[in-house]
Amino acid sequence: MNREHLRSLFTAKSARVDTNKGEAYYKNLYERCRARLDELKKITPLRNIDIAQVLEDEGISRRDFLKWASATTAMLMLPASFTPLVAEAAELMNRVPVIWIELQDCAGNSEAFIRADGPKVDEIILEIISLEFHETLMAPAGHQAEAQLEDAVNNFKGKYLLFVEGAIPVGRGREWCTIGASGETFEEHLKKLANDAAAIVAVGTCATFGGVPAAAPNPTGAVGVMDVVNNKPIINIPACPANPANIVGVILHYVLTGQIPELDSLLRPKFAFGYRIHDNCERRAHFDAGEFVEEWGDEGAQNNFCLYKMGCKGPMTFNNCSIVRYNESVNWPIGAGHGCIGCSEPGFWDKYAYERPMADANIKMAPNGGVEKSVDQFGLGLLTAAGVGIAIHAVASAVAGKKSEGEEA
Amino acid sequence: MRTQFQRIKRMTLFMRLNHWVVFFSMIAAVITGLYIGHPYYQTLISEPTAHKFVMAWNRAIHFYAAIIFDVSSVVIAYLYFFSRFDKPIKKLIPTKKNLVEFWEVFFNLVTLNRVKRFDSSHEDSFHVVYFTIFHLLLAWMLLTGLQLYVLGLESGMSSIGKWWPALLHAVTDWTIPVCGGTKMDVRYVHHMTMYFILTWIMFHIYYIVWRTIFWREGDIAIVFGGYKFKRTKGNNA
Repeated sequence: MNREHLRSLFTAKSARVDTNKGEAYYKNLYERCRARLDELKKITPLRNIDIAQVLEDEGISRRDFLKWASATTAMLMLPASFTPLVAEAAELMNRVPVIWIELQDCAGNSEAFIRADGPKVDEIILEIISLEFHETLMAPAGHQAEAQLEDAVNNFKGKYLLFVEGAIPVGRGREWCTIGASGETFEEHLKKLANDAAAIVAVGTCATFGGVPAAAPNPTGAVGVMDVVNNKPIINIPACPANPANIVGVILHYVLTGQIPELDSLLRPKFAFGYRIHDNCERRAHFDAGEFVEEWGDEGAQNNFCLYKMGCKGPMTFNNCSIVRYNESVNWPIGAGHGCIGCSEPGFWDKYAYERPMADANIKMAPNGGVEKSVDQFGLGLLTAAGVGIAIHAVASAVAGKKSEGEEA
Repeated sequence: MRTQFQRIKRMTLFMRLNHWVVFFSMIAAVITGLYIGHPYYQTLISEPTAHKFVMAWNRAIHFYAAIIFDVSSVVIAYLYFFSRFDKPIKKLIPTKKNLVEFWEVFFNLVTLNRVKRFDSSHEDSFHVVYFTIFHLLLAWMLLTGLQLYVLGLESGMSSIGKWWPALLHAVTDWTIPVCGGTKMDVRYVHHMTMYFILTWIMFHIYYIVWRTIFWREGDIAIVFGGYKFKRTKGNNA
């Protein structure tokens, strides 16, 4: 354990969210954003798409768009006076080049990102960003795709945002995952693209903390982007999948300020991951009342009782899905009747994704997860062992009798 | 030949009160803590949800018990060094005398009181080490517990000011990497430490009863009356 490690232990940035940084701060920020947007306006758009036109085509009025802009301003924890700037930034998003790569993933974040059915403002905004490369979405394949990636990297050296979806195998499985005709491993591929990026956005839990590919026994040695790249600013947007609202938020913040948003100790934007699910949960009253769903479909489940006893991990999970929800605030997992599985926390899958309260959680007794015992089983075993030890001593003492050295019988 | 006993003061009134405050806090903390970890009874109160705070009361009692517990431990930690009655720290320093006494008391236990080559009238090194382990376990419960508690203060505010969550983060954030890297690990470890404390208590009670029976010096009376008794005549007279 070196000094640097010790320092990081004791200076971990808390999840504390400062929602009001004072008038002077916001005045200064406003001016910087204004200057930044004026600067961006001068650049020729990378894609000749007019957002007003796109929105109209999708049947979304200007009024709906501005409503979205004010909601997004609030989500980014900016004062209401920033709403026009946010709207303007959304219109200028086609000036920021984005390269999106996929590693060990299921394309679930891409799916959330394009949201093919009934796109809402968030998803439409994502459509107009200048997506220079995306394996799943683009038409070219093979050598043409590689040529396009090379072009994009050369054209936008140092300017593009690199979106990474999926974990990076660095263990024994590193050779199993290669990309392109040159056969470069995922790790080499990521490092090469990271070198010329302005910043990296790790999208989804696999890219942030390893996620599902890193679940025990982690055959490929999967890790997150921040464990591989250390020379670029990294923004983590975990969750499975990452909420499009938070992806838009991060890009907007970058377009608006030219900077990455304020991050917590796990490099997650505080505007999205500064709040605990549990504290903004619609079922919280049932938690405090001690009203729990005991099994799927029981009386409690029908009455929207708390899902804590079904293994809800809301009390340990920091994310804004209890506020922002999914699909334009239509619903979210707990609203649909299943507990939170902590998909945006490090250690997901192994430590979160089970349908038991945490006291019954199976902990890994062997390093590789071979033998599982719950904390309570372990504890009762400990107490039993102590009891047996005491009983043996007590019986032995009783049999031996009350004699001590030098004492008469 | 009559056995004579000398009365020896071992615990002051404050120490005894502290012991029983800790005793009741611990029972409260374990009962409520087990409920918080896994609500083991159902709320069968026909009141609207907003009126029955079953989990909320369990958590409140857990926190109050923990705070009383913690404050008492801080006081005990102070008394380790500055007590005017008996400074346990003197028996904790690994001097040769203390090491010898530690092993002698241990031998006495494993030889079922066949060997007893130490002065049992005062607090011995073995017992002080044993109690120090208890206080370290409690300190660990305090740190992990407050880390779990501060998760709910993510706004950075509290009824007593912003300094409180800030202090908790500064003092307890390091428990996350130490426990294994996630908030869930802190919860596991907090829960598991309870079992270590319960195991500690099992031996504590057994050992005191055993001492009382086999040493025949009234050790169990210490925590009620403050005194035990030392044989002055009889054995070798």
